[in-house]
Amino acid sequence: MKFVCLNCETYMNFEKVEKPGEDTLGVFFGCPSCNAKFSMVTNPGETQMVSSLGVKLGGRTVEAEPFEMTRGTLKDEATAATSQMAAQLNEKIQGGQPAVAAATAATAAKPGEKSGGGCPFSAMVADMGLTSGGKPGDAGATTTEFAWSADAKEKLDRLPSFVKPMVQSSVEAFARKQGYKTITLQVMDDSKSESSNGMAWTPEAEQRLENIPDFIRPMARKEVERVAKERGMASITAQVMDEAKDKFMKFM
Amino acid sequence: MAVEKDLKAILGKLKYSDDAKVAQQITEQMRQVQARMAGIKHKLVVMSGKGGVGKSMTTVNLALAFARQGAKVGLLDVDLNGPCVPRMLGMHGQSLTMSPEGAIPPVGPLGVKVASMDFFLKDASPVRWKGPMDVSPAWLGLMEMNVIREFLADVVWGELDYLLVDLPPGAAADKPPVIAGFIPDLAGAIVVTTPSEVASDVVQKSVTYARDIGIKVMGMVENMSEYRCPSCGEVNELFEGNTEAMCEMLDLPLLGRIPFDRTLARTFDKGQPLLDDTYPTIQRYQDIAGRIKTLLDYKKVLAEQL
Repeated sequence: MKFVCLNCETYMNFEKVEKPGEDTLGVFFGCPSCNAKFSMVTNPGETQMVSSLGVKLGGRTVEAEPFEMTRGTLKDEATAATSQMAAQLNEKIQGGQPAVAAATAATAAKPGEKSGGGCPFSAMVADMGLTSGGKPGDAGATTTEFAWSADAKEKLDRLPSFVKPMVQSSVEAFARKQGYKTITLQVMDDSKSESSNGMAWTPEAEQRLENIPDFIRPMARKEVERVAKERGMASITAQVMDEAKDKFMKFM
Repeated sequence: MAVEKDLKAILGKLKYSDDAKVAQQITEQMRQVQARMAGIKHKLVVMSGKGGVGKSMTTVNLALAFARQGAKVGLLDVDLNGPCVPRMLGMHGQSLTMSPEGAIPPVGPLGVKVASMDFFLKDASPVRWKGPMDVSPAWLGLMEMNVIREFLADVVWGELDYLLVDLPPGAAADKPPVIAGFIPDLAGAIVVTTPSEVASDVVQKSVTYARDIGIKVMGMVENMSEYRCPSCGEVNELFEGNTEAMCEMLDLPLLGRIPFDRTLARTFDKGQPLLDDTYPTIQRYQDIAGRIKTLLDYKKVLAEQL
């Protein structure tokens, strides 16, 4: 923030900061030309805004101490009462049982044995009917020009409702491109492996990609396709794989 | 009567200089963050759009998993209003040691260095800041971001292989992705979710937002995948969802699934964490840490195995 002396048509100089009271700052400015002085006084909100920046107005004269702002702005309150409350709550909730003993007791519990307390989730699990993996539902389904085989439809229905329309649209776009009328599990799988860059992979290149751990395979696929694109190639062959490998060797 | 002055014309003739040196100091603050974190090889944030999915439990166990592999590990808990990492590691009541070089973090189980807001608080006391609370919306966000900046700039981590940052919950134009953006040379974000559709819906928003601001999302951890009853031993799903489908849609690897494990959870609740690396759930964390390591070195993996 700057101030202009309208008489002298010049910026006023920052001179000093004082703290005239709690939650307020007095910032002093002087005109270098006519020597007029004035002080801007901040209200509590403005003072806190400036403090929250963690800076010293006018620049630092001494190095900042570690956690200067955090320590300077945390309220220093006596917490004995809350401490006692916490201990009491802990005692009530945990029953004062030492963690190790609790852990040992829980670890020792074997299938079929009753260790007291029972299963805290059994009622909830039963209510949800979740004894096996997810139930089919129609949420999120959209109308379609394609026939879906029963197993493909079941796989689609198992997806979360917010994912389903996107997966359906992606699979159908692939089917449309390939001229399929019916969507089967195979079509769904094939649609997953189609490159988003529209690049074809030779069987040999696909086989080499299988050497990569599955959780980084999609990333590897993209990297190889990037190499192919850089070299102006439209399909991924063994030669592209070799060039990609050479490229990554440089990071070893 | 005073002559009306044309301020625009006056300013056109003047040269601006920042006498209060605010901009200069903010630049210096950011430089200090960079300098302080220069000795850390891999900086990772653990985030989730949703609260209560087990972010801290995941962060703490991943930190311990990396430490078991012989790595030097730091853990920064930047959940200012709900810091729980020190309590989980049995470090509640310890504090940062202030020195002229900076704040030295205490060392927890398996040599993991920890910094947390909890070290500034007494027992059950919540974070309370000085200042007029009636106008807190105007300054509280700024204050918290600067406190986090101090955590990044002032803690003396020394040389580390991994720094894991436990972010507070939040999805989009909120603090977590912005905090991650503060961290220089961030390797990436690990996203924690539960299979619940509600959690998945929020989590995918946080992934999108993180990517929008240039954070590399490395993969997803599904927490509370299933529940094994300690009484009868039956394994059931806790939620009805499909994290795998979400990962596929977001083009993210699913790094692993962690069951809801009451035995393990209780030891962390008591501050006496189970550290046995033969324990099945801990082995799952070890596997996830291994996958993260592979992801960090993926170019090397491609060079060797393609």
